Amino acid sequence: MYWPVRLASILAAVGGCFLLDALARGVDDYARRLIVLAGIWVILSVSLNLINGITGQFSIGHAAFWQVGAYTAGYLSVTFHGKWGIDGLPWMILMMALGALMAAVAGLIVGLPSLRLRGDYLAIVTLGFGEIIRIVVQNQKPLGEAYGMNVQPKFQTVWLVWLMAIVCIAVCRNLLRTAHGLPFLAVREDEVAAGAMGVNVTQVKVTAFLIGSAFAGVAGALLAHYEGFISPQMFKMEQSFIILTMVVLGGTGSITGATIAAVALFYLPERLRDAPPVTGAALLGGLIGTIVAVVLVKRTVDRFHGPKIGAATRYIGSVVAGIVLSLALGAGFGMIPKLASQSFEAEKLRMVIFAGVLIILMLIRPQGILGTNEFSLDWVKSLLRKRKAVEA
Amino acid sequence: MSLLQLEGATIRFGGLVAVNNVSFSVEKGDLFGLIGPNGAGKTTCFNLITGVYKPTSGSIKFRGSELSGTPPNKVAQLGIARTFQNIRLFQSLTVLENVVVAAYLRHRVALPSALLYLPSAIAETERLKAEAMRLLEVLDLDRRAQVRSADLPYGMQRRLEIARAMATKPELLLLDEPAAGMNPQESDDLLLTVRQIRENFAMTVLLIEHDMRFVMNLCEKIVVLDHGIEIAQGPPETIRNHPKVIEAYLGEAV
Repeated sequence: MYWPVRLASILAAVGGCFLLDALARGVDDYARRLIVLAGIWVILSVSLNLINGITGQFSIGHAAFWQVGAYTAGYLSVTFHGKWGIDGLPWMILMMALGALMAAVAGLIVGLPSLRLRGDYLAIVTLGFGEIIRIVVQNQKPLGEAYGMNVQPKFQTVWLVWLMAIVCIAVCRNLLRTAHGLPFLAVREDEVAAGAMGVNVTQVKVTAFLIGSAFAGVAGALLAHYEGFISPQMFKMEQSFIILTMVVLGGTGSITGATIAAVALFYLPERLRDAPPVTGAALLGGLIGTIVAVVLVKRTVDRFHGPKIGAATRYIGSVVAGIVLSLALGAGFGMIPKLASQSFEAEKLRMVIFAGVLIILMLIRPQGILGTNEFSLDWVKSLLRKRKAVEA
Repeated sequence: MSLLQLEGATIRFGGLVAVNNVSFSVEKGDLFGLIGPNGAGKTTCFNLITGVYKPTSGSIKFRGSELSGTPPNKVAQLGIARTFQNIRLFQSLTVLENVVVAAYLRHRVALPSALLYLPSAIAETERLKAEAMRLLEVLDLDRRAQVRSADLPYGMQRRLEIARAMATKPELLLLDEPAAGMNPQESDDLLLTVRQIRENFAMTVLLIEHDMRFVMNLCEKIVVLDHGIEIAQGPPETIRNHPKVIEAYLGEAV
């Protein structure tokens, strides 16, 4: 039964990517670009999760590997495309492979100090490394300095990006469902004990950095050829932090968590761009309503130990109370002419809202959306079973 | 040839000589005890043997070949496994997974096969899990196999540490205060378990312990350390009546 199942799932993955590609042809360029970028963020988030979440090496320079991949592909395409007699998909595959290779070399360079550094110290080194890469690139004439460079040919497909995202997810998942993933988790849990049990800690850490940064390199090559333009501004420290936020928010070590968080965190701020402007009254009402709802939910999280169904009713109640309060207060404040006349554009508010959502999530669910769980049918079933057990 | 031989093993941390010129040899099949007051350098001795520290001078030989300078994971592969005084389980992993981590040092299938989820990697995973499960049965932990190790009761965590160390299939098992914090009943059970392990798995055991009843009942040979210096060596009867040991550690009433 192994090969039929394996082949079917591979076919389903490839087929799903082409289906998504076909569906994406029906939407406008902006929406299609969001779908592609979401896929790229998924690769970044899931690959950082391997280093950060699964192996426990606190790296916050992931954008640097992304940049290495993007510039490798970009530079090679500009310089050599058309000279080696290949084009289209084969060229793109070659660029992804070389981008991954160069990023992996960079990963090795950062991985080596990680053998001696732990926690905060490693974080500082990776952060510094990320900045070094960006600034070095920014000063290279052939790489377009701070202006960036145009990348030709463009290769704009939805399916390839999402296929790579699926490959990245599959590699991590395969690692975790075989015994080979356990040494990685053991290093995260306790390096000394892992070493004493025969785990080659050095090798595990370097492997995690190699695989993680290689996938970031693939994401870079995909980005360069989709956008047709790359600049150092696209790989700033903030990007590393957003990838890290995705990993932490999804639940450290959870692959599905990293995936869901990547799509959510990428989509939310983008979609908020289109939101209509709000009046000062609505904003103030919404703010107070949100705070009340968060306080109520937090109280349930901290103090309620009854059955799950009771907790769920309380959560829904809190949210409904927050919404009702927001609307009521919004209408009430609307009576005040000064508040009613003031208008705020969504474009300016969106990052504030983004930050607010992060703070709320960390207050209510510090272990991340999924904690260390993976989203699966078994997990949902186990939740239901627990509920029944409590009720009984 | 002794299984493990320390000759003048010494380690200094700055001005402190934690282990000073300690020599003893453990023969194959021994149940060997290492005792002494707190801070005597017992755990440091374990750290020297397992490669956590490199001795400043002296030699440590395992099956006749020099150990000092060998990294901990290589020491484990050579056939020395240990438990920790302050329990160091992989807390968020399950009981079974903890043991599989240790059994993994005998893996034969390379990482790429696992990343591709090839049948060979699946078969190996099953094999290692089955091995680990057998050990859990020996230590009576099999019914808790799927529990997160941090959620186990204290006594079981100690037993899991032993199961995990045994999963590396060592020739020499180092137990660092295996009975610490156990009640008399638990420690009696542990005594039987350790004896059983030695007989069924043909293992040599070197253990550190403060519970004198436990050590005197179990061990056939004992070394006593005080302030990093070896003050006595011999069978339990000799140790019990040794004037230096009574003065430094046991006290008059034992």
